[in-house]
Parts: sequence; C-alpha cells; structure tokens
Amino acid sequence: MKTDAQIVEDMSTFRAFIPSGHISAENYSAIIGKVNFFKFFKNSAVVAILNVSLVTILNAMMGYALGLLSFKGKKFMISFIIALAIIPTESVIINRFMVALHLHMLNSYAGLALPTVGYPMFIFLYYNHFKGMPRELLEAAIVDGETYNGIFWKIMLPLSKPVISTVAIMGFIRSWGDLLWPTLVTRDETYRTLPLALRALSTDVYIFWGQIFAFASLMTLPVLIIFVLFQKQFIQSLAMTGIKG
Amino acid sequence: MNRRSISLRRSHHIRDGQTATAWLFCAPALLSVFLFYLIPFCLSIAYSFTNKMLVPRIGRSTEFVGVGNYLKILSNDIAAKAFVNTGLYALMVVPAIMVIGTILAVFVNRQVKGVKTFRAIYFSPQVVTMTVVAVVWSFIFSPGESGLLNSFLGLIGIPPQSWLQNSNQALFCIAVMYIWQSLGLQMIIILGGLQYIPEELYEAGRLDGCSIVQKFLYITVPLLKNTLVYVLISTTINTLKLFTQVYVLTNGGPNHSTTSVVYLLYKAGFINSQLGYSSAIAVVFFLIVLIISLIQNYAMSEK
Repeated sequence: MKTDAQIVEDMSTFRAFIPSGHISAENYSAIIGKVNFFKFFKNSAVVAILNVSLVTILNAMMGYALGLLSFKGKKFMISFIIALAIIPTESVIINRFMVALHLHMLNSYAGLALPTVGYPMFIFLYYNHFKGMPRELLEAAIVDGETYNGIFWKIMLPLSKPVISTVAIMGFIRSWGDLLWPTLVTRDETYRTLPLALRALSTDVYIFWGQIFAFASLMTLPVLIIFVLFQKQFIQSLAMTGIKG
Repeated sequence: MNRRSISLRRSHHIRDGQTATAWLFCAPALLSVFLFYLIPFCLSIAYSFTNKMLVPRIGRSTEFVGVGNYLKILSNDIAAKAFVNTGLYALMVVPAIMVIGTILAVFVNRQVKGVKTFRAIYFSPQVVTMTVVAVVWSFIFSPGESGLLNSFLGLIGIPPQSWLQNSNQALFCIAVMYIWQSLGLQMIIILGGLQYIPEELYEAGRLDGCSIVQKFLYITVPLLKNTLVYVLISTTINTLKLFTQVYVLTNGGPNHSTTSVVYLLYKAGFINSQLGYSSAIAVVFFLIVLIISLIQNYAMSEK
C-alpha cells in the first residue's frame, strides 16, 4: 500500500541522511515500552468500538422510523434532521464541550465516545435507504403478525448490510482520526487517544523520526486492515453518495 | 391476496403501536442530537452576544454585549487573517482537486483493465488519519539541508527552504498535504459520475468528428455537472474546516500565517477562555457554510 511504502521509503532515506543506526524493530519496541503505545491504542479502540456500534444501530433505528413508519410529526422531524446536517461539527464544538462539562463527561470514555453518536448525516443516509425499501415487505410482515419492532431487527437490518457497513466504516474512520474533540475532552494522559499521543510525540523537544513513523504505521494498521477487507463495498458506496449528492 | 383486505388490516395496525415504535426508535439518536448538536448550537448563538468566559473570572458576571463580539471579529487583525488564510487555503486546494481529480478520473475511466487496482491505490491516502498524514508530510518538508524534499531540490540546485517555518510557505505546504490526501476520494466520486455517461454519446461524437478535447468539453463536462458541483461544494466546505494540520504542525504560526477559522475559535474559546467571542466566530463560520450549502442546492436544482 502506498502509505506503508511511503513510510518505509521515508525511513530508508532517513537512515541514509542520519547514520544513527536505528533499526526499525528498535523503534517499535521503544514506542511500545517507552511511549506506552498500547495504552493509547486501548483508549482509541474502546472509544471506537463503543462509538461505532452505537452510531451504526441508533441512527439506523431513527432512519427506519423516518423512512418506513408513519406517525405525527414525521415530516417536521425529517426537515429538522436535514437542517441539522448542515451545521458543521466545528461550529458547535466549544459549546458541546460546555454541555459535556455540565453532564460531568469530561475525561472519560463516555465523554469521548457518546457525544458523536447521533449524527444527522448518517440518520439521513439510513432514512434514504429505508425509504427505498419495498413497502409490501412491511405490509406482508404485519399481516403475518410481526410487530414493527420485530420487522426492524429480523427483516430490515439483515437486508441493510451495505448501508450498515458504509456507516460503520465511515464512523470508524471518523472516530479513529478525530483530533479536535479528544483535545477538548481529555485532561491528561489517562484517556489520551492515538492522534493526540502522536501529536504529543511530534511536538516533543527531541523529535525521534523513527519512533514517530513506527507509531504512525501501527496507528494506521487497523484502518488499513478494515479497508482491505471491505474496500469494494466501501468505494462503491462512497461513489454512490457522490452521484446522489 | 387482494389488496383491499391488506389495506383494511393495515389501517387497524397503524394504531397498533406504529407511532409508539417510531418514537421509541427515534428517541436515542434524537436525544444525542439534541444534547450535542441542537443545544450547543443554540448556546453558541446565545453566548455570541455575551462576554461569557469558559473559566468565570472572580467578581465579574457575564454581561450582554450586543454585537460586540462580531465587531471584534471584523476589527481584530488575527481574526481577519484567519478568515483570509482559510479562504486562500480553499483557493489553493479546491481548483487543484477539481482539475486534477477530473483529469485523473477521465484517464482511469478509459482503461478497463486494472481500474480496481488504480482505485485502491488512489484511495489509500483516505485510510491514513490526517494526523499521520500531517506528521509524515512534515518529515518531507523538514527544513535544513537534510530534509527529504530539500535534499531532492538540492540535486537540481535549489537552496533548502524552511517550509513550515516560513510564513510564506507554510499554508502552501498544508494545502499540498490535503490535496494529496483527498484527491483519491474525489477522483472516485467523479469516476462514479463518469460511469453514468452512455458510451453512445462518445460514439456519436466520434462520428461527428469531435477531437478528444471537444468530447471532454461538450459531452463529459455538461453530463458530469451534478457530480462536479457536489465535489466542488463538499471540498470547499471541507477545506473551510481546516484544523488538524494546523494544530499538529504549526499551532497557527509562523506569524499567524496558518491560523485557520476553526483553529481561531478553538484558541479563543479553549486557550483564552473567551467563550462569547469563540461562539461568535462559530456562528459566522456556520453562516458561511450555510451560504455555500444553499448555493449548492440552487446549482443542483437548476437543471
């Protein structure tokens, strides 16, 4: 892959320029031992798993309700979600911090993972998907005595794998790479996530490039694995959203 | 089955918990959206007219200051610089992505063999977190003679540049990083639009004796319009959100040359504790994004 090749290339040129005899394995052991890579990795992983599972399910539930069920206030709610989707996260971030402060969520996994769970754009994506589902499916299941709740879990979710994986992957990339929110929420090293740790590493007085690249490659690895496993579906769905606008 | 019986039964069932289920299903996501989108948004608007501080100063209460914060944005040099920088950055990134992305997409679209490999390669930067991209590129832009890019430039006799430490070059470096990272995704989106152009049109063009350039201008571009508008707007909005590279690499420097709008509101609110002022910047930022989104809707609907 380009990225790893890039890093390897840099590493080799780096060694060519400064013959300090860094062996890459040494860098890896250094970041695992000295920089405490696994602590930050665990933080990022906990936050990502918590966040992505909730993002995938909760937004799907709302998308299903808006897309397939009829109830009072539905039209208004759809407009409301579309309007909110225009608001960039960055413009509410400072006061999102205030809300988290009042909810006593600072410096905790909850504070890192929960505020980004309900995401208007994902709700809209799911809404569009469920709206396109054949209504006959719903009606037939109702005639068979299935509840609206049961329909979602037993029929609709299994039929929605492509959109679910799209949201899950996008959600994961969002959670894994986020820098601004963790910067505000974390107070010290305890809950520091990978991007924050990498930034701390690269703004040190002494910059150890070898360690930084080792850290960066390890940090990229999980996303790379996910991308390789799901790339076909992922790229297709992204291209699709481009056409729909 | 006849339809009438189904619809009769359905009307029975509509009262059977459809509304209840719907609200129950909306509740969790809605609660999250309320707490972390709507309330912060309303607070931003409310606080932007006050001098509220993040850490309240002893003996000073929060007061209503009218449009004072907004006037401050207009009169403050650093704030003006942040808006100008963000605009400059968008001007560097957006045209580059549009032009290079379209050319690459057209090029890749012609070769049926190996398209998937191409896509994977171009898409790979998307996989790398922006923080990592920034750090890796900062290595490339290392100042001094031993810097990666400088040593290459040295081969062709260009003296070493100080890149991120030079207030004339830093923003350009950050723009290059972003172009490299997002070009792949935008290209794939344009490629998706190209797939929808029927081959017959190009056939007809060939019969009419169109050159490659004419085909591109009169067939490809008009039919790609919606996709291109989408790429244009989404890239523009994304560039306006510039923060990560600035925060990781330059902290807004040197000499405020890379201070972006989002970095400004982060610094005002979080480092300088000026919640009111920061909220006003956030509101202005939102209005700019809103105007761009409205332009998109207008351009898309105008068919």
